[in-house]
Amino acid sequence: MIQFQFITAFLLIVLGIYAFLAKRNLIKLILALDIIDSGIHLLLISLGYRIELNEVPTAPIYTGYETLKSPMVGPLPQALVLTSIVIGVCVLSLAMALTINAYRHYGTLDVRALRRLRG
Amino acid sequence: MFGYWDALYFVLVFIVGLILAYLLDKWAKKSGMGTREVGEGTKIFISGEDPEKVIPGFEHLEGSYTGRNVMWGLTYALKRFFTALRGEHTGLLTDYVSYLIITTAFVMMVLLIWG
Amino acid sequence: MNGEAILPYLIIIPLFGAFSMPIVSLIGRKAREAWAVIISGATLAVASALFYSVWEDRGIIVYTLGAKSPLGQGVSFPIRIVWEVDLFGAIMVLMVALVSFLAVVYSLGYMKHDTGLDKYYTLIIVLELGMLGIAITGDLFNFYVFLEIMSIASYALVAFRNDTWEGIEAGIKYMFVGSIASSFILLGIALLYGQYGTLTMSYLAVKLAQNPTVTAKVALALFIAGLLFKSGASPVHMWLADAHPAAPSSISAMLSGLVIKVGGVYALARLLFSIYSPLAYKALRAYGYPYINMNTVGWAIIIFACLTLIIGNAMAVIQTDMKRLLAYSSVGQIGYILLGLGIGLAAYGSHTGEVALAGAIYHTFNHALMKALLFLIAGVVIHELGTRDLNELSGLAKTMPKTTFAFLIGAAAIIGMPPLNGFASKWLIYESSAIFNPILGAIAIIGTAFCTAAYVRVLYTFFGRPSERVMKAKDPEASMLWPIIILAVAIVIMGLFPWQISEKVMLPAAKALEDQLAYISAVLGGA
Repeated sequence: MIQFQFITAFLLIVLGIYAFLAKRNLIKLILALDIIDSGIHLLLISLGYRIELNEVPTAPIYTGYETLKSPMVGPLPQALVLTSIVIGVCVLSLAMALTINAYRHYGTLDVRALRRLRG
Repeated sequence: MFGYWDALYFVLVFIVGLILAYLLDKWAKKSGMGTREVGEGTKIFISGEDPEKVIPGFEHLEGSYTGRNVMWGLTYALKRFFTALRGEHTGLLTDYVSYLIITTAFVMMVLLIWG
Repeated sequence: MNGEAILPYLIIIPLFGAFSMPIVSLIGRKAREAWAVIISGATLAVASALFYSVWEDRGIIVYTLGAKSPLGQGVSFPIRIVWEVDLFGAIMVLMVALVSFLAVVYSLGYMKHDTGLDKYYTLIIVLELGMLGIAITGDLFNFYVFLEIMSIASYALVAFRNDTWEGIEAGIKYMFVGSIASSFILLGIALLYGQYGTLTMSYLAVKLAQNPTVTAKVALALFIAGLLFKSGASPVHMWLADAHPAAPSSISAMLSGLVIKVGGVYALARLLFSIYSPLAYKALRAYGYPYINMNTVGWAIIIFACLTLIIGNAMAVIQTDMKRLLAYSSVGQIGYILLGLGIGLAAYGSHTGEVALAGAIYHTFNHALMKALLFLIAGVVIHELGTRDLNELSGLAKTMPKTTFAFLIGAAAIIGMPPLNGFASKWLIYESSAIFNPILGAIAIIGTAFCTAAYVRVLYTFFGRPSERVMKAKDPEASMLWPIIILAVAIVIMGLFPWQISEKVMLPAAKALEDQLAYISAVLGGA
């Protein structure tokens, strides 16, 4: 079975990096950042989701664990992704705030206009 | 591994040097024709620049050009190097990202081939 | 003293202080300032006690979050988050706490005319917290979280003066590229977790030695690229020259003195020596097992270090903006530290490698003091004159004698003039690089020549004929002057006992960093 989730994850990461290099609008760059982050999150989640013995794993809820016979997904990657999402939200909101301020100072969202500091 | 070094000896030598310089100065003042204590003799005269001299057309820079040309020889000799360096620092966000990608690709290539 | 008992307070105190700051600042301005000083002072006290405890015992302190032992119940591998401090980490902790404390004290006078100061003090303590966390953590994901705490606080602080275009532009450049670098590091962590199923650094080291795969190499490449970015090595140093001058000067001192070292070089050293290890490489190669060639990694780092050395110091020569000059000089000095690190990796096991590593650690500490001093002085100049253009600062020595004298000390130390502290650390790096490969030694000396040229320009400006603008300036108030004096005195005193410090602290730290087995067995208990 082809593991589509891994291919999708790396596709998302590459797509985000491509967008970062090719796009000029600051908002699009923020979206690119989010896409890279999502790709990594998808990769992490997929690492915990392993189909063993043709049984689909269930959510890692430990209450009533004894009655459950099927395997569970790894809980650690999910904890990591939750943390990482929180960090990602923090980065995105700060990026948005800076973009609004940049629009106030420069009157444009074109990233090529932001080059007064150089040399 | 190379030789021996102790900062305290350096300080000692430095102090001895200061005393020697002071004695030399005293001796020179005594045996010379006399030092000018006022007027021309008291000017700060760094790297051949006369701070009092006004260059025609550059009056707006008067008094504030002291450090500007100190390293002129170095910057002029390496002009092409510095121009190339300055040209690389474009200040474009996209360039910064591409340098990061290039670095990653370089390190990854090195590690995959010779790692 | 029991280091394990006081270790958690290193995180608890700044965390509590940072998030109680908005409440305390409701009482008033004085209360807020006093609270910031008390919190950073208490952190400094804890850090000093921790450093002394680690230095005295020569051991490794392990603290497990939420349990007595890092190992899981009934299994022989660690499942909990651990904090692990060896002597190298303890030096970093002391350095961070000291410079942060001085930066907070300096901010009392420097940031007086700004608004939003409750947020400023919260962020500065969060920044300190992030760096302390990186220095003590023994868990990869925990490391990522602290790295992001540090990075986000520094993005926000670079753009703190959002009424100027400079802060915003620098903030955007730093933030967008920095987030991609962080993403690379997270991707590397995800790959390692997928391959080996653990995040504890010491257990990961064991797993890596047992089965080095291509995935581990790819992850290592991502880590190195991301951390080189964070440490400001060429060719990914351009954000540094934009971001560090744009921040308020107290923040510039912390960014240039601490963030690029703890978040970049320290993390890189920890990764390369404690997880991917040259020790395992040597052993595996000798017995013919598959290995990851750490020699190649060392040489890759040396190449980047040489580039950084030359480009950073050369760009400093042609700057007219004082803070930008200092920022480029930081890039150049990072080159020396990376050179020491690279030689320590490539010449692992020999005396040369150990000396190079000790030199790198020593220079990290010294440069934190020197660059913090220089940036604080630049802040004083901006505060008094409102400009940092070198062409307008001529003759500062007449009206600001104490400041200029402190700058002279800082500049002489950073060039590596005896008998100041920069001499000893730079000497260790020159010496080991000349023995390792004479060409590297020559490159290091050329870098220093450029560095000297840059600082001589500034000093000539300061000692020149006073311009009219300068005549109104005077030495700053006490809260800004004292941090400068303390740093200058520390530089001179450290310069007077270079080999004693090198023998007693830096060489043991280099040995602790090289001794990967002790790092592993401290967590796994010799299993």
